[in-house]
Amino acid sequence: MKNIFLPLLALLILTFSCSSDDDTFYEEVVIPKGAYENGIIVSSEGGPSSISFISEDLSSSENNIYFNVNNEDLGVYLQSVGFHNDLAYIITDTNHTITIVNRNTFEKVGTITTGLQTPRYISFLNGKAYVSNWGDSADGTDDFVAVLDLSSNTVENTIPVGEGPEQVLANGDKVFVSHKGGWGTNNIVSIIDANSNIVDTITVNDNPDEMIINNAGELVVLSSGKEAWTGTETLGAIAKIDVNNNTVISNFEFEMGVHPNLMDYANGTLYFQTSENKIYTMADTDTALPTTSTIDLTTAYTYGMAVKGDRLFVADASFSSQSEVVVYDLPSATETHSFSAGIGASKIYFN
Amino acid sequence: MKQIFFLFLLLSVCVSGNAQTPIDSIQKLDEVVLSDVKLKQYAPGYKIEVLKDSVLKTNGRSLTSLLAFNSNIYFKENGYGMVSSPSFRGTNASQTAVIWNGIPINSQLNGQADFNTISTSNYSDIAIRSGGGSVQYGSGAIGGSIHLNNNLQFTSHFDTNVRVGYGSYDTKNGSISSSYGGDRWSVILGIAYVDSENDYPYLGTSKKNVNGAYNNVDVNLNLGYFVTDNDVIKLYHQSFVGDRNLSGTISTPSQSHYKDRNHRSLLEWSHLAKNFNYQVKVAHLQENFKYFGTQTTENYSYGKVNTLIVKPTFNFRFTESIQLKTSVDYTKYTAEGTSFGSPSRSNVSATALLNHRLTKAFSYGVNLRKDFTSSFESPLVISVDTEYEVSKHYSIQLNGSRNYRVPTFNDLYWQPGGNLDLIPESSYQIDLGQKADFGFVQLKLNAYYITTEDLIVWTPNKGVWTPRNIAASESYGAEVELQSEYQFNSHYFKLNGHYSYTVSENSTTKKQLMYVPFHKANVSLAYSFKKMSMFFQYAFNGDVFTTEDNIKDRFSSLPSYDVSNIGLEYRILEKPQQQLSIAAKVNNLFDKAYQNVAFRPMPNRNFNIQIHYKF
Repeated sequence: MKNIFLPLLALLILTFSCSSDDDTFYEEVVIPKGAYENGIIVSSEGGPSSISFISEDLSSSENNIYFNVNNEDLGVYLQSVGFHNDLAYIITDTNHTITIVNRNTFEKVGTITTGLQTPRYISFLNGKAYVSNWGDSADGTDDFVAVLDLSSNTVENTIPVGEGPEQVLANGDKVFVSHKGGWGTNNIVSIIDANSNIVDTITVNDNPDEMIINNAGELVVLSSGKEAWTGTETLGAIAKIDVNNNTVISNFEFEMGVHPNLMDYANGTLYFQTSENKIYTMADTDTALPTTSTIDLTTAYTYGMAVKGDRLFVADASFSSQSEVVVYDLPSATETHSFSAGIGASKIYFN
Repeated sequence: MKQIFFLFLLLSVCVSGNAQTPIDSIQKLDEVVLSDVKLKQYAPGYKIEVLKDSVLKTNGRSLTSLLAFNSNIYFKENGYGMVSSPSFRGTNASQTAVIWNGIPINSQLNGQADFNTISTSNYSDIAIRSGGGSVQYGSGAIGGSIHLNNNLQFTSHFDTNVRVGYGSYDTKNGSISSSYGGDRWSVILGIAYVDSENDYPYLGTSKKNVNGAYNNVDVNLNLGYFVTDNDVIKLYHQSFVGDRNLSGTISTPSQSHYKDRNHRSLLEWSHLAKNFNYQVKVAHLQENFKYFGTQTTENYSYGKVNTLIVKPTFNFRFTESIQLKTSVDYTKYTAEGTSFGSPSRSNVSATALLNHRLTKAFSYGVNLRKDFTSSFESPLVISVDTEYEVSKHYSIQLNGSRNYRVPTFNDLYWQPGGNLDLIPESSYQIDLGQKADFGFVQLKLNAYYITTEDLIVWTPNKGVWTPRNIAASESYGAEVELQSEYQFNSHYFKLNGHYSYTVSENSTTKKQLMYVPFHKANVSLAYSFKKMSMFFQYAFNGDVFTTEDNIKDRFSSLPSYDVSNIGLEYRILEKPQQQLSIAAKVNNLFDKAYQNVAFRPMPNRNFNIQIHYKF
């Protein structure tokens, strides 16, 4: 009996050891490095969506950090990430979800799945978060800003706004919302009074998108204008708005044919990218748009941009292969580093 | 079997008319029975595999499940029952043509045929023609073509088949088809219905396919009538009405909903004579979809295309061994939709197919086509094919062709991005086939090379996605097809297998194209004994890359998988006038988790029971 048992056991072991070759398909197993405390966070829309990390000193990088830590996917499409205290809020629009993670470890803390419909951007104010939502994208009248209670992570209120609310910027006791227009087009910035939830609007050029508050305390809004392919091309512009009385202080319009897309603010300087794929810089005190570019990019599809210190980070998105994040040194206007990122890399944040 | 069938038909047609010119060859019989004669008569050098009625009935009701287990074609399916697209010899979905009774039915909007919107229930046979067929079938027949055929029988008969079934995920199906005919006329009416919750669990997770329910009805009506002894009028009609929820991915459930409404009609008049046949076909096709972003919304986007085809064909038989078929067809496409306004396009094409049987063993064909299209220039396409029967058991087939695919309405007119400067994709290919037949075993071996340029690819351009003729690809590979039948007393065995090795790469980067597996294989084994029969099916799909990088990680590739099905049938009643059988099938027998599109799991082990009554 024993004589049969041993070979049988051996056969059994052999069978199991042979059938476990499923694991060998993937060439590399990425072990999480643990801390994402200091560095650059790159979000990629997908699908599959993903988040990449680049160390502060640009010496190393890691893709798919959310998956590596949590062994699950985020869903599509990763629209934006908001940071508040120790947490990061990852917004995926098609599954109407905000995934909350610890911003240093990227361990999942929770999710918000009710009360959102096609969420886009988030901003934080007084224990609350304001999330822009397109609603049903085919319906231009159901768009809203969801107010999250950050202690319970639930939507406590919704504020109806005009079509296509995009970026959200909380400042003082006001929440500014740029209306890029969703699938359509729009030309307003909504101003929500955080105490009363009363909404005021300011008209700007078509398709307002990126917003910052400059060192002078002004709200700066970048409007792309309508591109030529729409059939009714309109001018792009950068508007400066007085946040106290909600009026436009100055409006810098671009010439026909040139449309600004991306904008960031650092070192007391405004950086923006145009449809010609050039980066321009503008000081707060400048009274006209710059005429000469700072860097002429060579990226194929400039989909995201951010500035920190002397470094300009550009997301060169691909939707059929890995994207690239290119780092430029601003003083010398030269490319210094490049990193791979996920499918459709779109936003760059500093942790 | 086929010979007997034709002989039978021949006999019956001869008997039917006294003063009729004797119809003396299989060639004319094809004209009577088939709508697409050139599939049989003008393709000596092409590999054609015909899946007969019996195969169609034991497989799934969709074209995807049929072909995944019975051909070399690879499928990617966005979850079971969802949008399904084939890759034939490493080409893409819009380079595979689907031909309904000789008429191309790929969508004019995206160039593809969704193989899950084609019910296999109501066809007499489905043929798989490998290799380029643009001369014969027009745009898109680059990798190969799938032919859905309804054959009309002009014999006195009246048969009705009723099938009802029930299976996992609350799947209900039913079909009824009646075939009725006499010497001069023939009618086939078929209706097939399927409805499924399709809410299968995603194996290895706690999730399930929450938004995958579908139902569809397919109606086919085919009529044939001999007006005179030499003139036959035929009408083919098919309607498909499908409602589907579109499954999401594992992490992003979807709420969207999709309605397909496809109607196809073909009226055909053929004049049959010994040396000169002519035929006029008039076809009307309508494709219509509505997409709803959520379950509750009343807002939808839609697209609709009406296609009118008028096609006179002249067939000359100069001698017993030389025949020439010429046709000039006029096609008018009229589209409308949410994202592309209401464009239209017309096309005139002239085709000449020459077939010459030089000796009994050697035949060849030379075929030409030129299209004149209102929106762009189409190339002159040509194909040459030949077959040489080396011995009774062995023959060689060779074909070479130039093929093309025109830009679709989406490519040309989509707002934003549509590009009116596009030109057709252009492709050359060569295909060498060998056939060995040892009676109980038939083996086919093919090797091919396809090069395609001016591939239409959508890329971002100043923030707007726009299609451009920018890519080129090369595909080469080998295919093996094996058929074997063996009978021993009352035991009957049938074995059918396919294997393909496919390299299909971007000509510039030399990287394998997305969703083209290097290896694909399938085997079916059927066994019957007296009143029992059973089958086992196995399909293997090799690793695929899901992005262009050719990186093997879970975000850029899918591992290989294999899936097996088993079925058992018992014939309760087996009389010439009445037959009753009950069948059970287990799909994904070994309960394997697999995906053929990334993040979209396919069903776990599932069961299905069918009752079939024929009278």
